[in-house]
Amino acid sequence: MDASHGHQGADRRWTAFYPAGASTEIEGTAYRTIGDLVRSVSATYGRAPAFTTCLPNGMNGTLSFAQVDEMSDAFAVYLREVAGLAPGDRVALQMPNGLAFPVAAFGIFKAGCVLVNVNPLYTAEEMARQFEDAEPRALVIVDMFAGKIPAATRGHPIPNIVVTRVAEFLPALPRGIVGLVQRWWDRSVAPVEVPHVRLPDALEAGRAHRTRDHVEVDAYRQALGPGDLACLQYTGGTTGVAKGAMLSHGNLVANMEQSLEMIPALTRGGEVALTALPMYHIFAFTVNLLAMYRIGARNVLIPGPRPLSNLRRAFENYRVTWMSGVNTLFNGLTNETWFLDSPPRHLRLASAGGMALQTAVARRWEEVTGAPLLQGYGLTETAPVLAFNPLGKARDGSIGVPVPSTLMACLDDDGRPVPPGTRGEIAAKGPQVMAGYWRRPDETAQALQGGWFRTGDIGVMDDDGYFHVVDRKKDMVVVSGFNVYPNEVEECLATHPGVLEAAVIGVPDGASGEAVRAYVVARDRGLTEQDIRAHCRAHLTAYKVPRQVVFRDGLPKSPVGKILRKDLRAEALAEGAAPRAAG
Amino acid sequence: MVGAFEQALLAAMIFVIMLGMGASLTPRDFYLALRRPQGLVIGVVSQYGFMPLIGFAMTLALALPPPVAVGLLIVSCMPGGTTSNIFTYFSRGNLALSVLMTVTSTVAGVVLIPLVLLIYAAALDLEIPRENIIATLLVLLVPVAIGMGLRRLSPNAGAVTEFFGSALALVFIAFIAVSWVPRNWQFLMTTAPATYAAAIGLGVIGIAIGYAFARALRLHPRNARTVALETGIQNAPLAIAIIALTFPADEQQAILAVGALYSLFIVVTSTAVTMLFRRANAAAEQKMPDSLL
Repeated sequence: MDASHGHQGADRRWTAFYPAGASTEIEGTAYRTIGDLVRSVSATYGRAPAFTTCLPNGMNGTLSFAQVDEMSDAFAVYLREVAGLAPGDRVALQMPNGLAFPVAAFGIFKAGCVLVNVNPLYTAEEMARQFEDAEPRALVIVDMFAGKIPAATRGHPIPNIVVTRVAEFLPALPRGIVGLVQRWWDRSVAPVEVPHVRLPDALEAGRAHRTRDHVEVDAYRQALGPGDLACLQYTGGTTGVAKGAMLSHGNLVANMEQSLEMIPALTRGGEVALTALPMYHIFAFTVNLLAMYRIGARNVLIPGPRPLSNLRRAFENYRVTWMSGVNTLFNGLTNETWFLDSPPRHLRLASAGGMALQTAVARRWEEVTGAPLLQGYGLTETAPVLAFNPLGKARDGSIGVPVPSTLMACLDDDGRPVPPGTRGEIAAKGPQVMAGYWRRPDETAQALQGGWFRTGDIGVMDDDGYFHVVDRKKDMVVVSGFNVYPNEVEECLATHPGVLEAAVIGVPDGASGEAVRAYVVARDRGLTEQDIRAHCRAHLTAYKVPRQVVFRDGLPKSPVGKILRKDLRAEALAEGAAPRAAG
Repeated sequence: MVGAFEQALLAAMIFVIMLGMGASLTPRDFYLALRRPQGLVIGVVSQYGFMPLIGFAMTLALALPPPVAVGLLIVSCMPGGTTSNIFTYFSRGNLALSVLMTVTSTVAGVVLIPLVLLIYAAALDLEIPRENIIATLLVLLVPVAIGMGLRRLSPNAGAVTEFFGSALALVFIAFIAVSWVPRNWQFLMTTAPATYAAAIGLGVIGIAIGYAFARALRLHPRNARTVALETGIQNAPLAIAIIALTFPADEQQAILAVGALYSLFIVVTSTAVTMLFRRANAAAEQKMPDSLL
């Protein structure tokens, strides 16, 4: 980690383009761990609102900085003293955005445990694979998805299950109404059938223990250092095998500071942030949850932004000054009548990540809102931000310049930097780069070579140090910022009795950036597109399910019989599946 | 037909419902509807241009006996009622536009109702009860304003009010439809088919023509759905009050027939149309990928 600090000797021409007021280095940050950060920031902002959950109908609940601090303390005590977890034990967190998220996440960090974010939409099979690998000793899960627990934990039980809900910590009346509607009208919540404790009860137990046994919560975090593991953030990496990127407290705190340096226009204690992206994804986790907390912003959390009209009340009821999103979200909003009628008047800046931001979308957004939309770039393994477009100096189609204390280069196949204007694999060094993959030394060795983290993206650096992504080394498909690995989808397709063989590629798609397309050689003629999709839906999260299914008599193969996805991609592009807007 | 207690109960229900409707609105919604007043103008033209024409055409087509024809004409000349706001809300239409249309057509009705009747009924001398008009406006505007204020004061208070208001609206609609039939069983059995056709047709054709007209003038589908419901749904209680005030008791029964039947069937028709509109609205919604969004 130390090697990543101080790149003064290296060529960092891009620092000339940093926004006014930004430093080129994040000096040995003020916080050693996320727990330290939460304690210190909470003391500064005290009773100011920190998080507000806003439901589609406008019902809402708010926690102040002081409340988040106290409640996460209680949860830390619960984990350590009541549930009996030790420092370094994993705690899985599976929930959409809501007030329980920061309480649970910060509590896990304060306890010295390791947070494992789990996509709440995962099928039981996908959950099981992640649980098998991370071996969490506790799971915090939203009631809507608790029905998947028995199937997901078969064979490797999780001893402590804490159940929360979307309307957690809302005032009693709205909370009761939401509960009744979910139970009896939507039928999205069923009684939880596994032994569990409710989050508010867990907090009560933690508080009781703290008073009775005089537990020193501060001692938990004081025993931790920046090098200690904070998160296992799952990703397919470059090879598609799901694995946990080991992000330390130091990685996350550094990346939070680096991201903030690039947006110095935001004021301390004066912003209202909109969090429509899920915080279980590393982008919103670092940039929204951590960075906005750090600057004392009020963070408006949206549990589910689909359909987009779910965001309307949040925009009407709160003076949003900053938001993050992906291309899909910005594009979608600028096609909503209500958004065009009343664009957010107080918006100062929006940050895009997760997937390529299309220039046309950025232009339209800036026209509608009058606020700049800046694109950044990063990966799960880098906590995630590596590059961002500087305010006022953004370049179309570029991912921007490396953030402070970060070295980026395009490397040739031998690992040597190529000159500006030449293609190479983007690689990075910096305090945000992970220590490695959880229990996978081989994968780690492949990703971290000669001190560089290899991104698997092919890029070009221009003469000023702005980077452009031009291609991807791996076959991964990015659907609205979520990685889909062809291997996983192909394996699922292969389990269908009617499928002889299958190949999966990504094709350009206007709405989601890329869409999953499956080429299928059918064993029996009666096989339909619907059969394929229904089969995939039963085993995979919805975004992995092929949007397009093409039946073929055979697939292009190399002499050794390897299916050539590259040829299929070229074919797809040639037949006119070209993107609607330039990327 | 309806006792004083029931009337008071209904008024109280409508008050709470409109409180909920108001809590779903912001001043900006009204500002936007007024900034582009085409919708409002189209709505009022549709209300007083098409509805009386439809009513008049049906009196001829169905060869209705004179008292029934007079009843039909009066109903067709009425402004929009509160019910139209409720159905607009549920059909995810433009509620601010709906409220503004109801207000405009009610106020304009003082002049326009006699004028339109002059054309179609050779100056049928009606007594328009001002107090009913004022009451209509008060029952509409006061709770809407309070509801908006509640939301501004606290988004939670607004959202809870909206929830209870809309829940009560469903009860209200069901109550009207269910309680009407047994109360008027005898009447239903003795009414002629032509009268049924007039009472049902006025609402159905009004909604259809209102929608077609608004769409032809390139109104956004959401606003067109609003104009459609506003056009087809008339303030039937006002028609009944007018008839009761104007005609001697022995003539009233036949004239009231269309108004009474209309009050029942417009609820049925509007419910069906609302479901159709909701489906159209859902189909027009942008499809977002399942992943990030």
